[in-house]
Amino acid sequence: MQRERPARRVAITGVGAVCGLGWGVEALWQGLRAGRTGIGPFARFDHSQHRTHLAAEAPDGDNPPWDLARLCRGWRRLSIADRFALFAALEAVEQAGLDPTGTMPPEDVGVYFGSSTGGMYESELFFGDFLRDPRRARLSALVAQQVNAPGDAVARQLGVTGPVATFSSACASGALALGAALAAVRSGEVDVAIAGGSDSLCQLTYAGFNALRSVDEAPCRPFRAERAGMSFGEGAAVLVLEPLERALARGAEPLAVLAGAGSSCDAHHMTAPDPTGAGAAAAVEAALADAGLAAGAVDFVNVHGTGTPLNDAAEWQALRRVFGERAGEVPLVATKALIGHLLGCSGAIEAVATVLCLQRGELHPVRREGEADPELPVSLVLDAPLSLPDMRAAVSTSLAFGGSNAALVFSRWAGPAA
Amino acid sequence: MSAPVLVTGVGTLGCWGSGSELLAAALAAGVPLASEVDRSAGYHLANGTRRACLVPAGQLAGWLSPGESRRMSPPSKLAVAASRMALKCAGLDGGEEERTAVVIATAFGPSTNTEILLKQILFEGPESASPSLFMESVANAPAAQIAIALKARGSSLTVCQREAGPLLALGTGAAEIDAGRARRVLAGTVEEMTPLLHALLDRFGALARGGPEGEELARPFGRGRNGFLAGEGATVLVLESAESVADRGGKALARVLAWGNAFDPTAPPSGWGRGHHALARGLRRTLERAGLRPADVDLVVSGASGARDGDRLEAEVLRAAWQGAPLPPVAAPKAVTGEYGGGLLASAVLAVAGSPLGPAAGWQDADPDLGIVLCDGSSLPAPAVVLVTSLAAGGAGAWAVLGRGVG
Repeated sequence: MQRERPARRVAITGVGAVCGLGWGVEALWQGLRAGRTGIGPFARFDHSQHRTHLAAEAPDGDNPPWDLARLCRGWRRLSIADRFALFAALEAVEQAGLDPTGTMPPEDVGVYFGSSTGGMYESELFFGDFLRDPRRARLSALVAQQVNAPGDAVARQLGVTGPVATFSSACASGALALGAALAAVRSGEVDVAIAGGSDSLCQLTYAGFNALRSVDEAPCRPFRAERAGMSFGEGAAVLVLEPLERALARGAEPLAVLAGAGSSCDAHHMTAPDPTGAGAAAAVEAALADAGLAAGAVDFVNVHGTGTPLNDAAEWQALRRVFGERAGEVPLVATKALIGHLLGCSGAIEAVATVLCLQRGELHPVRREGEADPELPVSLVLDAPLSLPDMRAAVSTSLAFGGSNAALVFSRWAGPAA
Repeated sequence: MSAPVLVTGVGTLGCWGSGSELLAAALAAGVPLASEVDRSAGYHLANGTRRACLVPAGQLAGWLSPGESRRMSPPSKLAVAASRMALKCAGLDGGEEERTAVVIATAFGPSTNTEILLKQILFEGPESASPSLFMESVANAPAAQIAIALKARGSSLTVCQREAGPLLALGTGAAEIDAGRARRVLAGTVEEMTPLLHALLDRFGALARGGPEGEELARPFGRGRNGFLAGEGATVLVLESAESVADRGGKALARVLAWGNAFDPTAPPSGWGRGHHALARGLRRTLERAGLRPADVDLVVSGASGARDGDRLEAEVLRAAWQGAPLPPVAAPKAVTGEYGGGLLASAVLAVAGSPLGPAAGWQDADPDLGIVLCDGSSLPAPAVVLVTSLAAGGAGAWAVLGRGVG
């Protein structure tokens, strides 16, 4: 017997982000809208011996514009991924007009996070020191190493005593965390969910994906004929979710509605997507069913769009399965072309990008790089923003290592009468 | 939950070997089966700890194909083997693949692969990184390999919440069924304990040190507790909807009556906090979801591991949740299985199925400040309601309430 799902619509009342385009949601949006890429040379670690040399590194390393070091407990010991997470969470909570510990019982707030590598960057520094000379290695560098550390840091900072959960299903982690948060708010388990993801650049993933020859030597070119792989990014993104009625009652202005979530597994291969796109399509169809929407109601898709030959081809097949003859007409937004692939955070930051597109009535473009791939006749938004003031719903996809697929459905908030 | 989710199969590997019968025997004996850790790499301090609850060699024979053995990381192998054991235990041989989900918890992920990769990258140069090691270094590799091996095409989720992860995985899996997203779920946990990880845990002072007799023992709730025994293994449970079990005439080992989790924000990132009241509220909420009161609990299967501050917090949480009323008997299987949440999960299912849990090391010398009465190995009535608890360093806490199986 299935749970009788309360008709609790879930509003997004705050968003926060940091990425290669800058610190804060406005920096993200202005960069996206201009089609400006954050992918370029980077300095996080010495990459001279690596095969490729580009990434979308957060500007000014780990120095946020606010005095977070003063605001946040134990700042010095936090990993870069933790710091990203804290910045994004505090920005999102501020926009939502919430003080989780001051305005509501902390047990009614939950934190749902995704991360692929947590504090791996700091672990690498420790590990290098430890293997050279164990006496030189500082154990304290490992304290915030674990994958759950960014989500925990957010909960700790906000005084949350409700559920805290971290998902680490590679590139689907952030979207899966949002799906779990949606379920928790809908069911009444929590009244507010702080949901998102965080990952920082590190050598393990940089070298690993290069070993798989999945990284483009140029900024990534999703769905283009000459695409040759992904580009790395880093950062964090957080969304505040709460019941729509509750948000309206307290005078908050919803940015959008998180209408549905779905997930699936290809069960095909550890790194290669199922070329038929069946698994990815199943996730999107599940999310649409969860939202109570037909595919025809979708105005645009924020695609996973890594720029690897296999991913984009499989994703096109998935779009064909879901949208049928309309697949080539649905506008596609490819956020990774501008901010790189944020791995465990990608689903979360692309959720923020999707919300911003819906809220502001236009789809962000990417730069036209080379020729379109005739095998993938998609309608990618190129060169200039696409104005769609009347759009109502959007899908965001996350397709991960290990075949884990996640999809989210967002609805535009057009006021209580809509 | 609107209807209990049923546990119909258990697959488990740990220091006791493979299978729940061997685990039941080890629990009844109450003796940890720890073995020597390989210290040859020089990661350990000279006077550091030496033992951990490691999976004995040869336990995977018959559960994996040669190809799977070659390409998988150690935790993926353990997880796939445990999944196949669980399905066999449930009397299942495929079917329902489209609506079978996988939810696996891990605290450290595939540590061997990560360690080798980092050595390649940092000392041999990044172009030396092995692509096959990399693809099996991600935390979700075990869940993905289970899905690939069993063609499970429902959700594939990996949960990382340290010691609380296994119960979160159980709860997340139950939620998949409760929400109608899956008919079957393979839910569990996997951990590997490498020499490097063991050495680092020891350097943090987390592991049980030798007593006067030189014996490294975890003593949950004991006066002399001074750390945990590191452990490894994999445990996977088959969860099914009642409808699914009825349709195939299956039998349930246990019912998941409720689950829940909470957080203690006073905890430092790798330590234990003072927020027992907040965690106790989470525990009580979990029981309320099952329509139960603390007095309805017949047995607590505790995640206490012998950690000095962790066990203190666990005791404070239980006492606060019971609000002064007498606590039921408490079992602490990590004294036998080591600090590995799969042992806890499997022990809890065994307990509710009527398998006796023996005495834990240190039970004769319980810490009087904690107010916990540990199972001493004497015969107890089979519990109808078992509360499973697991607090994590860093602040998380998770609980599950299990009831007797039916069918």
